[in-house]
Amino acid sequence: MSGRLSIIHSKGSLDWAYPTFILASTAAAMDQEVELFFTMYGLECVRHHTEHLRVSPLSNPAMPVRFPIGPAGFQKVDWRPWLPNLVLSLPGMERLATWGFKRTLQQQGQLPFDELRALCLELGVRFTVCQMSVDLMGLTEKDFIEGVQFAGAASYLAASPQQQALFV
Amino acid sequence: MMELDCTALACPMPVIKLKKALSQYPEQQVFCLSLRDRGGLRDIPAFCQHQGLGCELVSEESVLVFKVVRPMESLK
Repeated sequence: MSGRLSIIHSKGSLDWAYPTFILASTAAAMDQEVELFFTMYGLECVRHHTEHLRVSPLSNPAMPVRFPIGPAGFQKVDWRPWLPNLVLSLPGMERLATWGFKRTLQQQGQLPFDELRALCLELGVRFTVCQMSVDLMGLTEKDFIEGVQFAGAASYLAASPQQQALFV
Repeated sequence: MMELDCTALACPMPVIKLKKALSQYPEQQVFCLSLRDRGGLRDIPAFCQHQGLGCELVSEESVLVFKVVRPMESLK
């Protein structure tokens, strides 16, 4: 093994799931021992169904709003500066943003999230789910994919590198 | 030489495909990796150095082409 990577993942949105799983898979490919610790809303990333992982432009002020379809010039336009937040809060906007995000990822050759997650497991990335968060969210072990382990903060700290951790 | 076409794939897939090919075909000495992800300009050499592989940028057009050989010393 050449090094270890440990990431605490606490976000329950699709956009934030990508950096964690991309780093994890790359580190595993580089023979690192990788530990992902899922806590709070990050639990959503390790459940059977991932459709509820969405993107919300409302809570991401820096997120550009572009349409992934139509003529190339049209696709380049960032509508964000002209869209009041009130519009972004309308029903269906989160679904629309999520659809656009997934479509853009696909156009750029990125894997769908489920496949990226399966790839991480295949490469030997260890998934640990925070038991306290499971209880807090009213979930049970049955709600999670196979291959995850359930533990608390002490197990994470015992298994993580001494001098490095990322928090997403 | 084994061709690895990653032109339709984004980060981190080119690195992962290369890694998988390396372990799947232990007899294979030379790989030709093509990708469009510009991050690969630094990523692929970094990965290769880390893994003790030789790496040479063959083409830098819109498609990046790397020749990857093992072990590192066999790259002339």
